[in-house]
Amino acid sequence: MSTSAAPQDPLTVASTAAPLLVVECLSKEFGAVKALQDVSFSVNAGEVVGLVGDNGAGKSTLVTIIAGVQHPTSGHVFLDGKPLDVATPAEARDAGIETVYQELALIEMFDMATNFFLGREILQRGIRHRLGVLNRRAMRRRARDKVSEIPAKFPNFDAAVETMSGGQRQIVALAKAAFWGGRLLLLDEPTAALGVQESAGVLDMINELAGEDRAMIVIAHNLQHVWSVCTRILVLRRGCLVADLDKADTTAEEVVAYITGAR
Amino acid sequence: MGTDRGGETGIGRLAAPPEGGSSGAAALGANARAALPMRPLRWLFRPDNARLLVLIALGAIFTFASPFFLTTNNLINVLMNAAVVGIVAAPATLLLVARQVDISIGSAVGFAATTLTVVAESRFGLGVAVLAAIGAALGIAAINAVAITKLRVNSLIATLGTLAAFRGAAKLIGDGRSIRLDGFGFLGRSRFAIPGTDVRLPVAVLILLAVALLFSLLMRYTRYGLHMYAMGANPKAARLAGVSLERNVVIAFMLSGLSVALGSFILVSSIGATAPTTGMGLELLAITGVILGGASLSGGRGTMGGTLVAILILAVLDNGLTLMRVTSFWQEVVRGGLLVVAVAFDQLRMRRGKPEVRFEL
Repeated sequence: MSTSAAPQDPLTVASTAAPLLVVECLSKEFGAVKALQDVSFSVNAGEVVGLVGDNGAGKSTLVTIIAGVQHPTSGHVFLDGKPLDVATPAEARDAGIETVYQELALIEMFDMATNFFLGREILQRGIRHRLGVLNRRAMRRRARDKVSEIPAKFPNFDAAVETMSGGQRQIVALAKAAFWGGRLLLLDEPTAALGVQESAGVLDMINELAGEDRAMIVIAHNLQHVWSVCTRILVLRRGCLVADLDKADTTAEEVVAYITGAR
Repeated sequence: MGTDRGGETGIGRLAAPPEGGSSGAAALGANARAALPMRPLRWLFRPDNARLLVLIALGAIFTFASPFFLTTNNLINVLMNAAVVGIVAAPATLLLVARQVDISIGSAVGFAATTLTVVAESRFGLGVAVLAAIGAALGIAAINAVAITKLRVNSLIATLGTLAAFRGAAKLIGDGRSIRLDGFGFLGRSRFAIPGTDVRLPVAVLILLAVALLFSLLMRYTRYGLHMYAMGANPKAARLAGVSLERNVVIAFMLSGLSVALGSFILVSSIGATAPTTGMGLELLAITGVILGGASLSGGRGTMGGTLVAILILAVLDNGLTLMRVTSFWQEVVRGGLLVVAVAFDQLRMRRGKPEVRFEL
């Protein structure tokens, strides 16, 4: 793992014809359970794709495979045309895939800045670098710079994450993903368990993060939330991709029909 | 005090820890504030300060109770008695911070010490004996590490196993005898004169201070230390962030092995012999110190400084009670009671949180 990885500049590659992410015939079995069956789709830079489906449809499995946490039983994932099959979470991250997990994956006892840099700490130079001595000041400064760009307000930058509300924690997790400038952001249920106002704040943040050179896959249960951020909707049912819909050409009723199997 | 939970250690905070009851935390921990309205009172209840005060109070009581307590020689005695426990408690602190525990310490010290004396009395001599003892201590650490990281045995259970096994192994290799070792007095019996004073500190105490300082630096300032706190606080999140839990645990157990070797040398050196019971009960003393020192069984909290002060509290308590002619049976009762009180105090502070007791990787 690289030690003093500086945050990558947002890659300024213009969106080209080739898709950013290609998922090809992906299957995942847990014993007799087929969590995913032959799922194929692609995502272009600039797209915000909503991934919907009932509980157990395979949404989280799909996202964790792309994030390198799990490995598919068969099939491939390509980022920029390069295969990610043997990826670990760290490799996927280095390739530009940032994931915000449902359980947030923040260390509640730590403050924001430490959470931003966990696993990618900035170290001191020279001999202290080899001893693994942290450069707290540099990490803190960079994190503060990033947070000041975020419209969401934090009463206390130095507070432990555990003192924050659910919505603030979600925004911290999103800010962390954005901080590392991922080209592909995977968001697993970013508005789950949030109140109306907090959800709105998180959705604003997601819209803020959407950009020409970045793609996002957002898992959500709430179709209203999907509608407010996504451009395209993928529907999973019992591990199969049953629909790939443009938001402009579809309705919530149609999506629900696909989710429940009425269509 | 809600804000102190991470801040008290300064770990996981890139900012300087707030000054006592700082105003920066005004928005937070309002509940805790209501419970302790007065500022000085709150300062007293900050765990680090409370521990220091207990130490000072004990010192004052014993000074009052016995004319022998506050003498240079006696205080040096206290420090000397804290040396071995403190040295093995250092890696124990690091481990508990990461939600791991090593209770094989006592038997490991016994086995390493017996290896030292057995090999030293054979034809191989002292030099080989020292290497063999280091190897023995590291070997036990490696067994613990493999059982925990590869075989996925819970660390409490794995080290409970090695605690039992290596007490037996120590008796086996030593035939259950006491074994003398001459010419090995440096670590345990020699003293270092502090320039300009007539105080002569035992070398073992200097070693304790060096070990404590080293672990303190490791835990506070390095990436490794930060990752250990992260693992203890939230192992799943730490793993997703790319922290290698297995590797870090292996390193911590190896550090524990090295400390065990060092501790066993000092012990053998000061006593001049080993017995089948050498090191027995050391794990309880060390872990009592670690928990009394503020480390939480649910991980993510604890500091080397806290452990050191707690070990000194235990040493002063033993020494003072002995001076007051309280039998050692009572000392054990007091020590155990203190542990329960310390944990109860900790739970009281944490009531807002979720005090889960789990050891897992």
